[in-house]
Amino acid sequence: MRIRGALAVALSLGLVLTGCSDAGGGGGNATITFWDNNGGPGRTPIYEELIKRFEAANPTIKVEYVGVPSASVQQKYDTAIAGGSTPDVGGVTTSYLANMIGQDALEPLDERVDSGPLKGKLLPNLVETVRQTAPDNKLYSLPSSGNLDVIWYRKDWFEQAGLTPPTTWDELVDRATKLTDVGRNRYGYTIRGGAGSVFQLLTEAYAYSGVEKFFDGTTSTVKDPANAELIGKVAALYKKATPEADVNNNYTQMVAQFTGGSVAMMHHNLGSYSDVTKALGTDEVGAITLPVGPSGRKTVVPNPTDGFAVFKNSKNPDAAWKFAEFLVSRESNSYWNEKVGQIPANTDVRSEAWIEKNQPVKMALGVLEDKATRIVPAPVYLPEYSSITKTDSEPAYQKVLLGQLSPQEFLTGLADKLTTAQQEWEERK
Amino acid sequence: MTETLVRETVAEPPDRAAPPRRKRREDPGRGWRLYLPLGLYLLFTLVPFYWMLVFAFRPTGSTALVPWPITFEHFDTVWNDLGFGLFFRNSLLIGVGTLGVVSVLALAGGYALARFRFRGQRVFLLALLCTQFIPGAMMLIPLFVIFKGAGLLNSLTGLVVADTAFQLPLALILMSGFVRNVPVELEEAAMVDGCTRLRAFFAITLPQLRPALVAVGSFAFIGAWNNFLFALMFASRQDKFTLPVGLSYALGEFNTDFGALAAGGVVAAVPVVLVFAVVQRFLVQGLSAGAVKG
Repeated sequence: MRIRGALAVALSLGLVLTGCSDAGGGGGNATITFWDNNGGPGRTPIYEELIKRFEAANPTIKVEYVGVPSASVQQKYDTAIAGGSTPDVGGVTTSYLANMIGQDALEPLDERVDSGPLKGKLLPNLVETVRQTAPDNKLYSLPSSGNLDVIWYRKDWFEQAGLTPPTTWDELVDRATKLTDVGRNRYGYTIRGGAGSVFQLLTEAYAYSGVEKFFDGTTSTVKDPANAELIGKVAALYKKATPEADVNNNYTQMVAQFTGGSVAMMHHNLGSYSDVTKALGTDEVGAITLPVGPSGRKTVVPNPTDGFAVFKNSKNPDAAWKFAEFLVSRESNSYWNEKVGQIPANTDVRSEAWIEKNQPVKMALGVLEDKATRIVPAPVYLPEYSSITKTDSEPAYQKVLLGQLSPQEFLTGLADKLTTAQQEWEERK
Repeated sequence: MTETLVRETVAEPPDRAAPPRRKRREDPGRGWRLYLPLGLYLLFTLVPFYWMLVFAFRPTGSTALVPWPITFEHFDTVWNDLGFGLFFRNSLLIGVGTLGVVSVLALAGGYALARFRFRGQRVFLLALLCTQFIPGAMMLIPLFVIFKGAGLLNSLTGLVVADTAFQLPLALILMSGFVRNVPVELEEAAMVDGCTRLRAFFAITLPQLRPALVAVGSFAFIGAWNNFLFALMFASRQDKFTLPVGLSYALGEFNTDFGALAAGGVVAAVPVVLVFAVVQRFLVQGLSAGAVKG
C-alpha cells in the first residue's frame, strides 16, 4: 500500500515535470530573439506595441521579446556570450558596450546604416559617444535614445519662496540653503552619496569647471582644481541643506526623497521623468540643465547612450538588423521616446509636436544641439572604468562628505587610476 | 510563645506556596529583560513587512503611514503588466518539482549514508559539505554550457535540475542525520518478522521521518522559490521566468516602482508564509530531531 503511495508520488512528480517541458517554437519564416535591457512595466508594453507593428509590416519575421531586468543585464549578456547563446538583437547602453565589443560578440553596423534610410538621420553627438566605446571607432550599436543629467526642482516651492531656478552652481548653493527648513523636514538639495555617486559627481564637476576634455593626452583632467572646488561646494551642503542619510543615497533613495516631498532639488537624469511627474504632476516639477561655473561654458558629460546591437551569432542577421532599423525609424523612435521621456536619436523626430510640449526633453535636445555645448564623454570604454569609479571611488567620496578626505586628494587618487587605465588602453590599441 | 507558634503555623502555608511568587517579586525586571529584546527583535523583523504592506496598498505618491484609502492598483500592475500570473505558475512548478526530486533523492541517499558503510564515504560527505561553500554565480558559465549541451536551457525542467543540484547536498546531509536517529533495531525487528529491507523502510522508518521530510522539503521548496540567478540565466524566454525575476522588473535602470515591488513582494511571500504556517509543527520537530540523542 505504502509502496503504491510512493509510486503515486513519483508519478505525480513526473506529471509536474512533464508540465514543465518546453513548448514548441513559433511560426514565421524567420524568428528573431530580442532582449530588452531594461525590462519592466514601464517599457515592456511599449516594445510589445512596436513588435506588433513590426510584425504587421514584416509578416515573415517573428520577434520573440525577452525583458531582462536592468540590474542583471550585463551578467546575462556575459553569460550568454560565454555560452554562445546570444540573442539576435539586444538593447545595450554604452556603459557596457565596450565589454561586449571586447568579447567579439557584436556586428559592426556602419555599412548597414550608410546603405539604409537612417544615413545622416542620427544625432551626431549620440553616434560619437557610441563610436568612442570601440577601439576601431566602428558603430556597434544603433543609437536610439539619449539621456542627459538635469536638476529636477519643485516649481511650487520656488514660487512660494520667490526664487528663480539656479543657472550657476553658486546660485544652486544659495537656493538649496534658502529652501531648507529642517523643522518641516524640507531640504534644499539631495546628494547621491551611495551607489553611482561618482559618475554623477563628475558630470557636476565638469559642468562647473568647463574643462573640455576628460584626458589631456593620456593624463586625466579629473583632478583639475576647479573640479575640486565644485566638490567642496557640494560637500559643504551635506547635512546643512541635505538629509543626513544622503551619504548612502543611491538614485532610488534620491528619487524617493524628491517624490516624497522632502527635497527641493535633485540631480538625476531624464530617466526620472515618469517617476517625478507621476508622483508630483507636471505643473509642480521642472527640469533645468546642470548649472555652469565661473567660466560660463556649457560642458556636458553625457549619460550612457541607449541603442540596439546585432549579435554575430545571429542566424538571421538581416532580419535582426531590419528590426533594429525599424525601432529607430522616425515613427518608432518618436513613439518610444515620447513614452519614456528621453532624447530621440532620429533627428527627424525633432519636428514632432510632442517635443514642444515636453519641457525636459526639449531643453535636453536644445543642450545637445547647441553648438556652444562641449561634450566630454567619460571613458566608459576602459575595462577598469566601472571598478575605478565605483568600487574604489565611491567609499572615498563618502569620506569627502564626512570631512575625512579633501576633495583635491580624492580627485587626485581618482585621476591617477584613470590615467593608468587610459595609458594601458592606448598601449593595447 | 504559643502566640508565636500560632503565628508561625498560620504563616506557614503562604510561605510554602510563596517561593515562585516571592521570586517574581524579587525580580521585577524579568519581564522587561525577556520582552524588551523580543519586542525589539520582532520590530526589526516585522517593520520591513509593515513597509511592504504600506507600499503595496497605498496609492502612488502617498506618504501616509497607513495604507488608506486602500488601492489594488499595484497588484493589478504586477499581475497584468508584469505577468506575475505566469511567473507564479512557473515558480510553483519549479518549487514543487524541486521539492519532490530533492525529497526522494535525499531520502534514498540519506538512508544509504546513514545505514551503509562504503569506501570513500567520508570523502563523499566532505565533498557534499564543500559544495555548500561554492557560490552559485561561480558555477554559472560551466553550468550554462552543460545545460546548453543537454538541451536544458529555456525549460522549467532545467531549472528544477539546477535547483535540485544546489539543494541536494544539504538535504542529503540533513536527511542522513535524521535517519541515524531512527533506531536500526526497529528495521531489524521488522526484517526478522519477514519484511524485506524496502518494506521495512516504508513500514517502519519512513513514518518516523515525516518531520524530517517536511524540513528538507521546505528548505528545497523555499530555495527553489527564491532562486533568482538560475531562473534569469538559464531561461531566455519570457514565459519561463519566475517570480524573483518578475520582482526585479520593478527595479528599472532609471526608476523604481516601489508600489509594484511591494505588491510583488506580497504575492511572492504569501505562499511561503502559508506553507510555513501549515508545516511549522513538523518543521520544529524535524529540526530538533537530531538535537538530543536518545
